[in-house]
Amino acid sequence: MSTRRLTTVLMGALPILFVLAIWQALCSFGYAPPSLLPPPGKVFLRLAQQLGNVGFLDDILATLIRLFAGFLIAVVLGVGIGLAAAVVPAINAVVRPLVQVLAPLPKVALYPALIILFGFDHASKITLVTLDALFPILLSTYYGASMVEQKLVWSALAAGTPRWQILFKVIAPAALPSILTGCRIGLVISCIVVFLAEMISSTDGLGHLLVGAARTFQTVDMFVPLITISLLGLMLNGLLYGLRKYLLRGFPEV
Amino acid sequence: MRGKVRKLSPPSERQATGGRMQVPLRPEIDTGTGATSGERARAMIEIASVSKRFETSGRKSHLALSDINLTVNDGAFVSILGPSGCGKSTLLYIVGGFVAPSEGVARMKGAAITGPGPDRGPVFQEFALFPWKTVLGNVMYGLRQQGVKRTEAEAQSLRLIEMVGLKGFEHFYPKELSGGMKQRVAIARTLAYRPSVLLMDEPFGALDAHTRTRLQNDLLNIWERDRKTVLFVTHSVEEAVFLSDKVVVMTRAPGRIKQIVDIDLPRPRIRAELLLDSHYQKYVVDIERMIDDGRDDAEHS
Repeated sequence: MSTRRLTTVLMGALPILFVLAIWQALCSFGYAPPSLLPPPGKVFLRLAQQLGNVGFLDDILATLIRLFAGFLIAVVLGVGIGLAAAVVPAINAVVRPLVQVLAPLPKVALYPALIILFGFDHASKITLVTLDALFPILLSTYYGASMVEQKLVWSALAAGTPRWQILFKVIAPAALPSILTGCRIGLVISCIVVFLAEMISSTDGLGHLLVGAARTFQTVDMFVPLITISLLGLMLNGLLYGLRKYLLRGFPEV
Repeated sequence: MRGKVRKLSPPSERQATGGRMQVPLRPEIDTGTGATSGERARAMIEIASVSKRFETSGRKSHLALSDINLTVNDGAFVSILGPSGCGKSTLLYIVGGFVAPSEGVARMKGAAITGPGPDRGPVFQEFALFPWKTVLGNVMYGLRQQGVKRTEAEAQSLRLIEMVGLKGFEHFYPKELSGGMKQRVAIARTLAYRPSVLLMDEPFGALDAHTRTRLQNDLLNIWERDRKTVLFVTHSVEEAVFLSDKVVVMTRAPGRIKQIVDIDLPRPRIRAELLLDSHYQKYVVDIERMIDDGRDDAEHS
């Protein structure tokens, strides 16, 4: 079992190593001048140095705060609204057209307005992250909760469960696989959007670091935040995967 | 160990089992609302002039059940037999309170059925176990809903799990069990909250022949102990005859009752003996013929 898991991890690492190898090859064989594309070794060395730098850690912290706050608000709203819409037809009638209008909207287009409303600090970025992560979570919660097998509900009702408790005792737990799938998509989107928001206008955070380095042609420093956010994304996704595995331990493999 | 298991059925009912064997060999077929008060005292379920119409797309509607009248007496094992699409499951769902009839009324102990309740416990072909709960969690669910304290609910559930032959699997999740084991859990989950009536919707339909036979035997053994009223939907003639006191034969859509056959075979029924019994064989053949007649009618029309 554990050797099989090890092989899966190794298999997953291979394509990443392949990308790094191409990157290294581009530098080694002179296809890209080192001033424009620094070799990966240099970038990772710089990253290691930066991890001892308090200023850099503050930037990571700022990004993480925005990412988590935005993502968690999106989870609460998305799951709440999604479940409510699946159970109460009146709520569905109100939510459905709103979702249809708002979901395809490029949320980043609202960002200038959000800055005017909430300022340059955390609030505007958290709001943007929430807006972008909300819809995948809401939609998958709604579909998961709508597709709950009728006979699970009947079994619970016959066992004496009051109708108002069915939402929490049957529908929400039965929809958990879909809810967590939505959360996983929402988390990836959160990573992208928080970085994007910081690139557009910010005074700190990883996205801000990247833009600052790019403006002064410090190419090594430009790649460090990029690698950092993808490593953070990898770790967060791993955490969520573990949580999912624990919460869904009774469900058939999905 | 046996003592614990026996505790599940109240002593009064157990004592009664011996004398109950000759009970209604020829139960009155209630033709509707005209039941006298004497009959009603023993009637557990009364279905009076029930029809069910499903609205399908557009203005079309589908008549699933047409004018069903049926009385199920307390302690009787009644099977509803019919081809697929004859509305037999719908009839069961109406008694369960999951589906409302379009016309007519279904009564439980004289009171009109308006919704599901723990006096009527369903067992579905699809098992419908809660995948996020273990075997123990599933069986405990109903007891916890009835307000039984956790330790007490756990003790009672463990006894039931043992009774259905799943000792040692208490902490398994449903996905880790075979189909037959899942259905045993589902039966235990329903028995746990002590319904007066078991509503079984083709419970063994998804199982292989061997498992099916074993579960039929086990169900009969469990039933012999406390003689709950059972309404059992199936499309297997042998299964219906083997288990039941009364077999309700239904026709193809719209579902009507074609005939009610009293199964006058002694209990406790032993499968090996029964299969050789000419009375049993005659019941099976007669009922199969009845269903075939129905098919011819449908084809001619």
